[in-house]
Amino acid sequence: MPARARIVPERAREVATRVHGKAMPGTETPAYQGLVTRTIAFAVDAAVINLVALAVGVAVGLALSILDLPSGVETALYAVGGVVYFLWTVGYFVTCWSANGETPGNRLLHIRVCDADDGTPLSPWRSFLRLVFLTLAALPLFAGFLPILFDDRRRGLHDMLAGTVVVGADPAEPPRAKSRSPSAAEA
Amino acid sequence: MRGVDDVLVRLPQAVATVVLRPAVGAVRLGGRAVEGATLATVDVVLGSRAATEVVDRVLDSALVRHALSRALAGPLVEEVSREVVRHRVLERTTETVLSGPAMDAIVERVLAEGVVERAVARVLEGPELERVAGAAIDSPAMERLVARAIDSRLVDETVARLLENEDLWVLVEEIAQSPAVTDAITQQSMGFADQVADGMRARSRSADAWLERAARRALRRPPAPLPPEAPDR
Repeated sequence: MPARARIVPERAREVATRVHGKAMPGTETPAYQGLVTRTIAFAVDAAVINLVALAVGVAVGLALSILDLPSGVETALYAVGGVVYFLWTVGYFVTCWSANGETPGNRLLHIRVCDADDGTPLSPWRSFLRLVFLTLAALPLFAGFLPILFDDRRRGLHDMLAGTVVVGADPAEPPRAKSRSPSAAEA
Repeated sequence: MRGVDDVLVRLPQAVATVVLRPAVGAVRLGGRAVEGATLATVDVVLGSRAATEVVDRVLDSALVRHALSRALAGPLVEEVSREVVRHRVLERTTETVLSGPAMDAIVERVLAEGVVERAVARVLEGPELERVAGAAIDSPAMERLVARAIDSRLVDETVARLLENEDLWVLVEEIAQSPAVTDAITQQSMGFADQVADGMRARSRSADAWLERAARRALRRPPAPLPPEAPDR
């Protein structure tokens, strides 16, 4: 489904801007966010993830330190810890992106991740895919993020692959809900 | 011999007195009659319509106005004022009025008619009170008075006593823990955090634009379209 911003003619948008003082809701061009802003937001998220993981790890480590565990169990616990850390990281991003597109870092910077076509939050599956693509984009020395500097919609490789954009978010305005298809509404 | 002489001297006087007494009485009686007749004539004249007409005409004439004007322009007013003051006319009049029953009746009437309440309401609602209060507050005298009051020992002593009062600290504690105060402090803290975050957002967006311009220049690509205003608060 094409974006509504593309459907509304430019002339109608100008008229709406003149009449209402600002563009019609849903027709304004989103403020796509650049590399620096997104990097800061990601750094804040990384700090939150690692601080929580560190706190949990310290607590668990202190609790286990009073127990005399066999080395095999300790190794298994480290592996479990790694899996939990991975799940925590994935869950953090997937939950935040699919809820309203805003992680705590995004919220601090007033930005959000949304569907490139209709501006709605992502589904959990697409959020997960975006996280995978983001990891892939970072692997070749972060070269996957360079398109953000040149793309007109400031999309990185992971955005292009997942069909997402990062736009400015008005904290006072809730994110647009995903429109239901007629069949879904009937069901 | 001497007694005979006295008799000879007084005898004519006694005879004259006896002879002239009726005449004197007659003259006195005539005088009284004339006086009574004159007064009766005056009464008749004063009670007549002609006299009233004469008085009205005199009062309506320019002569009276002229005379009154001359009298007021002359030293008469000052003279009258001096005499009024000298004889304490105003004091005596005031004393008479105040000590008489008329004043009590007037006061009773004023109170019963609610004049006092109306006057107080009028003063409170009217602009005069505000004007007077404003003038009093803005006056240098009031500033001096306040400055003196603050500099006086009374304030220090009052503050010292207040600080010694246990109830004051209970009150302060109540206020400090009140939701209004805690909310205000929280909002102020949030306001500061918001300011810091706003600054960071603005700088990051400037850095975005700068980095993109530099990258596009390096690759000889046209500049990016101007982004719309960020929807920050």
